[in-house]
Amino acid sequence: MLKIKNLFLKKDNFILGKISFEIEKNSYCVILGKTGSGKTMLLESIAGIQNPEGNLYFDGKDISNISPNKRDFGFVYQDFALFPNMSVEKNIKFSARYKKIEDEKNLFLDLIEFLQIKDILKRDIKYLSGGEKQRVAIARAIYSRPKLLLLDEPLSAVDPTFRNSIMKSLKEIVQRYNTTIIHVTHNFREASYLADKIAVMLDGQILQIGDAKDVLNSPSSIEVAKFLGFKNIFSTKILGFEQKNKFFSIDPNKIDFLKEKCLDDYCFECKIEKIMGITDHYKIFATVKDTQSFFAKIPKQIFMELKLNEGDKSYIFINKKDVVFI
Amino acid sequence: MKDKSFLIVFLFLGSIIVLFLMVPIMNLFYSVGVNNIFETLQDKETYESIFLTLKSSFFAVLFVCFTGIPLAYLIARYNFWGKSILESLLDIPVMVPHTAAGIALLISFNHGYIGDFLSFIGLEFIDTTIGIISAMMFLSAPFLINGAKEGFKKVDIKYEHVAQTLGASKLSVFLSISLPNAKNDILNGALMMWSRGLGEFGAVVIIAYHPMVAPVLIYDKFNNFGLKFSAPVAASMILVSICLFLSIRYINNKV
Repeated sequence: MLKIKNLFLKKDNFILGKISFEIEKNSYCVILGKTGSGKTMLLESIAGIQNPEGNLYFDGKDISNISPNKRDFGFVYQDFALFPNMSVEKNIKFSARYKKIEDEKNLFLDLIEFLQIKDILKRDIKYLSGGEKQRVAIARAIYSRPKLLLLDEPLSAVDPTFRNSIMKSLKEIVQRYNTTIIHVTHNFREASYLADKIAVMLDGQILQIGDAKDVLNSPSSIEVAKFLGFKNIFSTKILGFEQKNKFFSIDPNKIDFLKEKCLDDYCFECKIEKIMGITDHYKIFATVKDTQSFFAKIPKQIFMELKLNEGDKSYIFINKKDVVFI
Repeated sequence: MKDKSFLIVFLFLGSIIVLFLMVPIMNLFYSVGVNNIFETLQDKETYESIFLTLKSSFFAVLFVCFTGIPLAYLIARYNFWGKSILESLLDIPVMVPHTAAGIALLISFNHGYIGDFLSFIGLEFIDTTIGIISAMMFLSAPFLINGAKEGFKKVDIKYEHVAQTLGASKLSVFLSISLPNAKNDILNGALMMWSRGLGEFGAVVIIAYHPMVAPVLIYDKFNNFGLKFSAPVAASMILVSICLFLSIRYINNKV
């Protein structure tokens, strides 16, 4: 449905691209990346606000040179960009001034019901809370019947207590309004809840894109793994593999400590370097072969049974099924 | 206690400049007297002169609204070669002596090819309202252009981007988003330009002594008849200007 081919954009000292990927119709794609990684610039390029090199195809048609007002793509900015010179209702109905909106009346009624903005329609936008602004901005974008809805960190300015209900609404939009969503965020929770597809973006490049579960559980590179919060990333040589430049990661919660060496799965002799007691668990830092520093989280009760002390010799045990190869 | 002394010092310093600005005007009104001002305002020569001044300055503002506001938008929104030079050039009229500006206008629009062409299309500058408007416009346009430029800079460009994605063309975005949201700065700029035009003397007197705008009439009366005859005209002009300014500000705040 949306196909991006070799998209490239240079702005001041920042370079975006070359980016190529495809998004299926009626899917929810999340672009996950740190602040300053070029996510907004990518969305603006898709919307036609920026003028990148490369090609964009939508439903098989080359839209690279089509102006933003002819693309039928909705855009919601992080700070919502509601028009200050208009009331809530006028903001929502803005697109009707410039194009014919199919089933306009029913769509409006459905939107104000769905996004719970019925009571604030006549209000000046400067008197809205963050959550209200966000819902109005989404309503305004959907009211234009976009074929593709581009959301730029839509939840970052919303009170955390309302995030869950808003995420639920966002998820529903795809089917309810027959559209496709590209949502950019730096928040893994948002991504894992909402996305059918995730693209990881760092320094202007898409490093990995695929099915949400695959990306979150199987990072394709060390950069992606580190960004996704994977800990204990080491060369597979420790595990006895010969291949160079291959890495693995192990969740700190999946590491066990043994008093004696075990021959099953992976077991390495280690030295306990540091122990930090946290309310219900202990953080343990242990070195293997004096160089590789493992980080483990052990529940309080198990730690008490192990009776580990800093400087002790012990054995790290990793179950094969818990190893994530990168 | 420290806060109080800070406020007292600042209030004292501020009141010095307020007094400096207000005393001459209040003194003028006081010395002329309210009855005299209203009598002067009924004098044909005076009210025609004041009306001509208001009208000429208004048309100057109107012309710059149609030409200077688009220019201000371009400067605020786009980066292009020579932008800084253009911005500096636009400020030149504010810096030059007004009589020098009058001479420059005289040379440009009353002589040579440009003068001939303007004369050919029926635009005469010497001793005409067109001449007065052009003199006022030359010296006061930067107030409106700069005001509009700052106003457009304050409008978040994301509003314009979103409006475009909602189907608005660039022109529609300008008319429905950029212009209304920069309205206050544009109006302030327009008022500044208009007021600057009302007081313009140096350039106008060189281009058009007749018909007499209020500043020229005040000068003429002072020169030929002395303070006693020029002061009522000056007070009348100031009173009319103040009333108009207050009305416009009041309407703007209400809208």
